[in-house]
Amino acid sequence: MIELRSVTKTFGTFTAVDNLSITIPPGELFGFLGPNGAGKTTTIKMIAGLFAPTSGTVIVNGFNIVTHPIDAKRTLAYVPDQPFLYDKLTGREFLYFVGGLYKMQKDLVHRRVAEVIEHFEIGRWVDKKAEDYSQGMRQRISIAAALVHQPKTIIVDEPMIGLDPRSSKIVRETLRQQAKAGVSILMSTHSLPVAEELCDRIGIIHNGRLVYCDTKDGMRAFEASMDGKLESVFLEITK
Amino acid sequence: MTLFLHILRYKVRSFLNATFEVSSISVIRGIGSLLVFGGFAVGAYYFSNNITAFVLEQTRTGLYLYHRFISMMLFVFFVAVNMGNVIVSYSTLYRSGEVSYFMTKPIPHITIFLHKFLDNFFYSSTTLFLVAFAVLLGYGTYFGYSWYFFAGVMFFVLIPFMFLAACMAVLVLMGVMRLAGRFGFRPVMGGLFAVYVGFIALFFRSSNPVRLIEQVNRYYPNVDNYLSQLDPGFLNYLPSHWVAEFLFFLARGDVARGVSHAGILLCTVAGMFAVLVLVASRYYYKSWLISLKIQAAASAPYDPEKANVVDFRSSGLLKGALESLVKKEYLTFVREPSQVIHLIVMLVLTTLFVASIGNLNLRIRVTEIQLVTYLVLFAFGGFLVSSVALRFVYPAVSLEGNAFWALRSAPVRPEAILALKFAIGFFIVFFLAFVVSFASNVPFLRFSGRTPLLPWFGLFSAFWMSLAVVGLNLGLGGYFANYNEKNPIRVASTQGATLTFLCTLVFLIVLVVIFLYPLSVYFQSLFIFRPFDRWSIVVPGTLAGMISTAVCGVSFAVGLRSLRRDW
Repeated sequence: MIELRSVTKTFGTFTAVDNLSITIPPGELFGFLGPNGAGKTTTIKMIAGLFAPTSGTVIVNGFNIVTHPIDAKRTLAYVPDQPFLYDKLTGREFLYFVGGLYKMQKDLVHRRVAEVIEHFEIGRWVDKKAEDYSQGMRQRISIAAALVHQPKTIIVDEPMIGLDPRSSKIVRETLRQQAKAGVSILMSTHSLPVAEELCDRIGIIHNGRLVYCDTKDGMRAFEASMDGKLESVFLEITK
Repeated sequence: MTLFLHILRYKVRSFLNATFEVSSISVIRGIGSLLVFGGFAVGAYYFSNNITAFVLEQTRTGLYLYHRFISMMLFVFFVAVNMGNVIVSYSTLYRSGEVSYFMTKPIPHITIFLHKFLDNFFYSSTTLFLVAFAVLLGYGTYFGYSWYFFAGVMFFVLIPFMFLAACMAVLVLMGVMRLAGRFGFRPVMGGLFAVYVGFIALFFRSSNPVRLIEQVNRYYPNVDNYLSQLDPGFLNYLPSHWVAEFLFFLARGDVARGVSHAGILLCTVAGMFAVLVLVASRYYYKSWLISLKIQAAASAPYDPEKANVVDFRSSGLLKGALESLVKKEYLTFVREPSQVIHLIVMLVLTTLFVASIGNLNLRIRVTEIQLVTYLVLFAFGGFLVSSVALRFVYPAVSLEGNAFWALRSAPVRPEAILALKFAIGFFIVFFLAFVVSFASNVPFLRFSGRTPLLPWFGLFSAFWMSLAVVGLNLGLGGYFANYNEKNPIRVASTQGATLTFLCTLVFLIVLVVIFLYPLSVYFQSLFIFRPFDRWSIVVPGTLAGMISTAVCGVSFAVGLRSLRRDW
């Protein structure tokens, strides 16, 4: 579960996120949309503990990310928008490395790594060093690494960038399965069809403020009031 | 040419934007840098000025011998700049994303080459220019030269001298790439390394400083004369010798002969640059393609069934996050060729240092000479240890790179990350410091065998020195972290790194000052049998320990704070 309570983040005089409040319960896949520079990545980084909020509180599975970062992060998985990996480690080594960071038992790591390698169909090149990977390969490793420790919450920033159609399908199905299994997911994306297909609820952020937030049904009703397209809703709201 | 200037304009603009970005942190950093660089430049000036005065007036070494020493130092400097450029330009010319980008544009390959070559030269040599100028100022002021001497020597002698080293380095590198395409990268680099070591050994064998001193002393008191009959013939072909000859003749007032040596240097530089451009225009693109081939060959998948020395799948003594972090540190280090090559170079230099001082024959039983020798060895050992720390500990945080998100978003405390990096750095640096300190004390054991205070002093000072030096490098390396730079050598040659190194030197000077008095009393007790109370070294020792702990603690806190900054 993710709870953002009146979260604000400023950089000097610029307010990137302005008094944002969202709650994502277990089992919900929340789509986080917004134009470039709206504050999506800043929000995600605050949830992941990479940015400290200027004010407000971020609670991840009952733990405040600022005051109890280790407890919060133990239950969390983060997939960044740029899937940087350690160039000199192989994909497999990176998966084991991440498993170790979450203090998983060795036999459990063996099993989980084997599972995610098979699930994401990365076995053919997972033993190459990451410096030789394409953007899509890195993205798949980065998403696979997020699932190794079986998190309760996943925050994922632009997961479809660089993925081929087959990988994109695997990732979409995986996210749906995880949500079905009770994992709360916050997904930022620019792909409106993906958001429409996957998300239980969609929030649109613009100039750091949450300007729209509704369930799939509510959103469809709103779409119908316009021309039936999410794109039109998005463009209208972020005008 | 138009394209060259076009790219240059935007690179300069980008540089200026980055350099003059006005924020409170950048202003504080700028003032701090200015103070430390200024302080260091003043220190280098006074050192150079005083050493020139001391050597020429106190020891009456004479102009000829002094300039031969300068020639030797310039030779070492030339080789260091040359080797440094071989290593750094491999990254700049062959592994840079910018080069890959330019290669997709309609830009002549020679334009790309010249940009990257000049970028490499000025990026890695800016601090050396400052040091060279401060030393030159100190040297020239002793002889009372005018301002135009300094400007002229800097622009027409010292910068061309370093530029020549860089040109030769890149020519060597392109040769290496050609051979590597045929014989493999590692064997060729190994061969090149052996050639360099052999060349340095041959130089010092042929121009043995001790033999030279003895030969020059035969001509005493006419030691300011031009005793070129003592020079081995091959010296005439070395650029370091031309620079030393230029300075020597100027010091004797023979401007024409001095300028002729500068002329030889400038002609050689022009010729070498022309050769470089010619070779690069024909061969740079081909060698770049070879580098891609070498990189592709190195990217063959690892055999997952084959157990490695350090394998993430196997269980070790360590558990959980610590195990993961240690294995990651190890693998990312040994798989980076520049790290391994530099480590070998550092170990060879340390071995040479240890072997040379181990055989030191201290025949003159005079308190002052023994004390100065001891302190010089102590400071030089500290300098060596500081260099190792700068090269390997300072970049430790930066080298996490953009993949640091994986650690920062994982349930691992920043303290644990930094503490592990500190422990690894401390282990290596303390080991080296201990070996160097032990070797430095060996020549003195003949006098102090019955009272083994010096080895104990060496051990404790090595410990405190390592603690502070590692703390400083790790902490300030974190504070000035540049996560976008993948090349550890470039990280260790940034402005922040230089600042850290200067802070380390200041710390070493403080240590020398603290121990000066008790050691002086101790050496007096050995040679003139003045009573020595062992407790008299306890107070300075405690003070040194407190300062080292404080330096380490404050630096660690600074580094930790930077790890908690927004990512």
